[in-house]
Amino acid sequence: MKQYAYYPGCSLESLATSYNLSTLEVAHNLGVDLKEIKDWNCCGATAYFPVDELLAHTLVARNLALAEKDGLSDFVAPCSACYKNAYFTNAYLKKDPDLAEHINYALEADNLHVNGTMKVRHLIEVFIEDVGLEEIGKKITHPLKGLRVAPYYGCQLLRPRKENENVENPQFFESLLSALGAEPVDYPSKTRCCGGSLIITNRKAALDMVHILLQDAVNRKADVIATTCPMCNVNLEVYQGQVNREFGTQFAIPVMYFTQLMGVALGIKPGKLGIGKELVSGEPVLAFAY
Amino acid sequence: MSIELSFNDEIANVMYATHGNPIKDCLQCGTCSGTCPAVEFMDHTPRVIIGLISAGYKDEVLASNTFWSCASCYHCTVRCPAGIDIADMMYALKRYSIWKGRHQEGLIGPVFSESFVKMIVNSGRSFEPLLAPTYIFKNGPQGLVQEAQTATGLMLKGRLPLLPKKIKGLKKFQNMVRRIIPIGEPS
Amino acid sequence: MSEKIGVYVCHCGTNIAGTVDVKGVAEWAAEHLKHRGVVIGREYKFMCSSLGQELVEKDIKELGLTRVIVAACSPHLHEKTFRTACERAGLNPYLCEMVSIREQVSWVHADKAAATEKSKAVISGGVERVLHNEPLEPIRVPIHADTLVVGGGIAGIQAALEIADAGYHVCLVEREPSIGGHMAQFDKTFPTLDCSACILTPKMVDVGNHPNITLLTWSEVVKVDGFVGNFKATIRKKARYVNTDTCTGCGICWEKCPKKVVDNVYEAGLGNRKAIYTPFAQAVPRYPVIDVENCTYFKNGKCKACQIFCPTEPNSINFDQKDEMLEVQAGNIILATGYDLFDATRIPQYGYGKLPNVFTSLEFERMCNAAGPTEGKIVLRDKTTTPKSVVIVHCVGSRDENYNKYCSGICCMQSLKFAHLVMERTGAEVYNCYIDIRTPFKDYEEFYKRVLEEGGHFIRGKVAEVTDAARLPEEEGKLIVQVEDTLIGKQRRIPVDMVILSAGIEPRHDAKEVGKLFGIACGASGWYTEKHPKLDPVATMTEGIYIAGCVQGPKDIPVSVAQGAAAAARVLGKIQQGVISLEPIKASINETQCSGCRICNGLCPFNAIAFIEDDKVSSINPALCQGCGTCVAACPAGAISGTGFSDAQIIAQIDGLLLRNLEPVEA
Repeated sequence: MKQYAYYPGCSLESLATSYNLSTLEVAHNLGVDLKEIKDWNCCGATAYFPVDELLAHTLVARNLALAEKDGLSDFVAPCSACYKNAYFTNAYLKKDPDLAEHINYALEADNLHVNGTMKVRHLIEVFIEDVGLEEIGKKITHPLKGLRVAPYYGCQLLRPRKENENVENPQFFESLLSALGAEPVDYPSKTRCCGGSLIITNRKAALDMVHILLQDAVNRKADVIATTCPMCNVNLEVYQGQVNREFGTQFAIPVMYFTQLMGVALGIKPGKLGIGKELVSGEPVLAFAY
Repeated sequence: MSIELSFNDEIANVMYATHGNPIKDCLQCGTCSGTCPAVEFMDHTPRVIIGLISAGYKDEVLASNTFWSCASCYHCTVRCPAGIDIADMMYALKRYSIWKGRHQEGLIGPVFSESFVKMIVNSGRSFEPLLAPTYIFKNGPQGLVQEAQTATGLMLKGRLPLLPKKIKGLKKFQNMVRRIIPIGEPS
Repeated sequence: MSEKIGVYVCHCGTNIAGTVDVKGVAEWAAEHLKHRGVVIGREYKFMCSSLGQELVEKDIKELGLTRVIVAACSPHLHEKTFRTACERAGLNPYLCEMVSIREQVSWVHADKAAATEKSKAVISGGVERVLHNEPLEPIRVPIHADTLVVGGGIAGIQAALEIADAGYHVCLVEREPSIGGHMAQFDKTFPTLDCSACILTPKMVDVGNHPNITLLTWSEVVKVDGFVGNFKATIRKKARYVNTDTCTGCGICWEKCPKKVVDNVYEAGLGNRKAIYTPFAQAVPRYPVIDVENCTYFKNGKCKACQIFCPTEPNSINFDQKDEMLEVQAGNIILATGYDLFDATRIPQYGYGKLPNVFTSLEFERMCNAAGPTEGKIVLRDKTTTPKSVVIVHCVGSRDENYNKYCSGICCMQSLKFAHLVMERTGAEVYNCYIDIRTPFKDYEEFYKRVLEEGGHFIRGKVAEVTDAARLPEEEGKLIVQVEDTLIGKQRRIPVDMVILSAGIEPRHDAKEVGKLFGIACGASGWYTEKHPKLDPVATMTEGIYIAGCVQGPKDIPVSVAQGAAAAARVLGKIQQGVISLEPIKASINETQCSGCRICNGLCPFNAIAFIEDDKVSSINPALCQGCGTCVAACPAGAISGTGFSDAQIIAQIDGLLLRNLEPVEA
């Protein structure tokens, strides 16, 4: 069975433990062997690049080097920010020998060397491409019949563009949700930003952006918003209350990780998927499966 | 013989990994600003910032909150008809601003990023509560109360980290960092 | 017998003389290359002037020069000038060579001493080479008086009429069932707002009736053999399933046909046609065609309504008709195959194909057209509601690194025209969202002013997205256009009923393949490459093949007409000459050395090399050969040599360049 180098990222150990739990459960169920990278460090999300570019890439490269050392071929990140950072650092290492030399000079102090040979994947990509929708369909025991899901892709899963991909109107998330038996909703804001770290650095701006996403999902009569990134999930879910206070709205729409929805459809117990840890309860979703 | 670099050149120099970002090709079409989801909270639109850079209005650019309100969503980048990576340029402006120590008053961004990097260098992993002081007092008393409420909610669900983590190979990690920039205690 | 060589060094004002010591170089040549045959070395301010040329002519006559070297600018500019001068003086023009000491020396070096030495070396190389030159005669081929025009749009129509009116025969081939091209789809043309069909159809009728024009519609060129003056084109005349000898074009068949099909070509997908159809009422020729993909008879043997109701005796419907392959001879070919519209679905954020009331420019033209699917009424997709507000989006797919880098040239005027028509017919509020307003030609800027005066709103900003995700009550049920109004520096959301995308124009989807048929190349953006972008826009690098209209790049109707006429004039000039002179700088194959490996056959970019089966050797057609030298270099047996660039000439030139030809000079 193919082993994937698994890079959970910092938030999966704290704010987004349910993403980690559901990822590991679903991966196990579908036969995807995720091997956590030993002693990985924070990828920096969007916080390193404002300070020093070279340092930012080096800190990301250390994780790539650790994965290469393990002799694995695929680097899998469930968090879109980690994914974007790893993908582009990896791409630059391959394209720019000067950068690679500089970074490896630093990595040498940590007895590491990076070659840029990893194939960087987002978790959702691994499930859709490597396992396949047909295979997943076969293992569904509790199809999410009638569950209207707003597929929230977010930003860094898609952008900046990697090769010639459809970044304006992708459909792969919808396909996955359909395979789970759910009803993906036409969600025009599906690639609109959640604000990311602006939730810290410019609260007003982020709350406005979250408000627009929640309102659009509610307008489209979605029962739940499915996410592919812990930052998006936190902004949409944890701060839903603050959005309500700021804008006088009464949103109470569940926001769940796609892996949690997958897990429910695959018949895994909700508790094992971290369902119940939300500030906006995810319980209503379960009614569609059970 | 010293060469006077234009502001445009200076910013181009702060983009190392994506050297070749053709800011000079800007048509001022406005697609970036028409797309930007955070533009309502910026004092200048992204397009105007590029215009100001071209015109050499360094002070005005550094006094702006535009690039500190950038969420790095990259939507401008993928739509720009001139092929400019505007989000990357925003990062470059942030770096320039921190390097020169010049930015608008009262912004959370600069101190948050610097604290974040320091925290990573000290431990290798992020620990949100350590970063809290950089922003929780900045949104007024109401903001502080709301933050406390959110934090409590998270803690009750076991989602707030109580203890910071450290990576095992921290010493070597710090040596690695120091080969890039001198930061943290010498080993 | 030794040759007598004259060396002439040009000052070119200060272009050369400013860097190279021209006097010194001329003297050096006369002195140090005397033993190689140089009898005179002169320098002059402007060799290309008549006085400069006279210097050469005088020396040929008086000194009996047998070779001439002119050291000046690039041969691209004046090789012909000096060769013609030599010819006038009685010396074979191919015994004159130019060497560049401007583009290759004075314009690229700053070190005067080094530049002067280099000039000497360059001239020395030229001298050695010219000693190996042979007198050559241009190759003359006869020109067949017929012309093949491919493409029946306005440019092709113009070209065909001009040649036919001059008394020569034209075969006009058009892929669609009728001529007319895109111009037949438009409603009004800018800036005069003439009705497009009204100005086009008289020309179409002329073509249909012209005794000198053979019109082959519903036909395509599939093969082209031959060379300038002597082309042979194989044309597939597709089966119409209608006998054109008996058909009167009465229209009963398409009236009675029960099968409606969405017309994606003429009606741009906005309207329908039948399975048997002519594209529009004024079609030339009037004969319909049957679309076998959608015809009930061809799909399952039923119906035959067209045949049943056809009133002619004998019946004009012939389901057994077959494609016909025709061979047409022509001396010259004009390609005028036009453009395709940019596919707006490639920009998902504009909502075309997803949001119903987003239209492309061609759809909107059909909508405005009185004979179109909405009878000229400007309405939403529901075919009933008149819009109260419209946004016209400029630069869709143009000026964009993500799609087409070029400006499509015609869309600004087209957008202004649309704005005018919408305001005139509906009184709606119209917003043009643009980056620049490009209105360069006669009466264009005045038209822009007119639209401003009529109350058109102009927002300078490229539209970021078109969405139906309303955020405010006034946005409900509308299309929201999100754009930065750059003139005021604010992002705006404009709720409207209808959005028109001024999509760019592109080369035809099969332009590359069609170009290969004719042996012409496409540029980086896919438009055909003209011989010279400034001075020769209708000729191509292939003798005898001309291009006219949008096939050469985006342009409006007046320029397309002008290019059609220009191409026609060039062709008429050639026909009148009766013969064409071709440069004798060609490659030729020594048959005794050719092993028949055929490596050269595939390499020739001009399809000039054929394999003679009987002799098992390859042979070069001198009329097609452009003297590029690719085959000369590639032949493993060294069996191909280039007249005018033989191995001996090249090696001699290298020796001269390295100054290996100098004798030690006594002080």
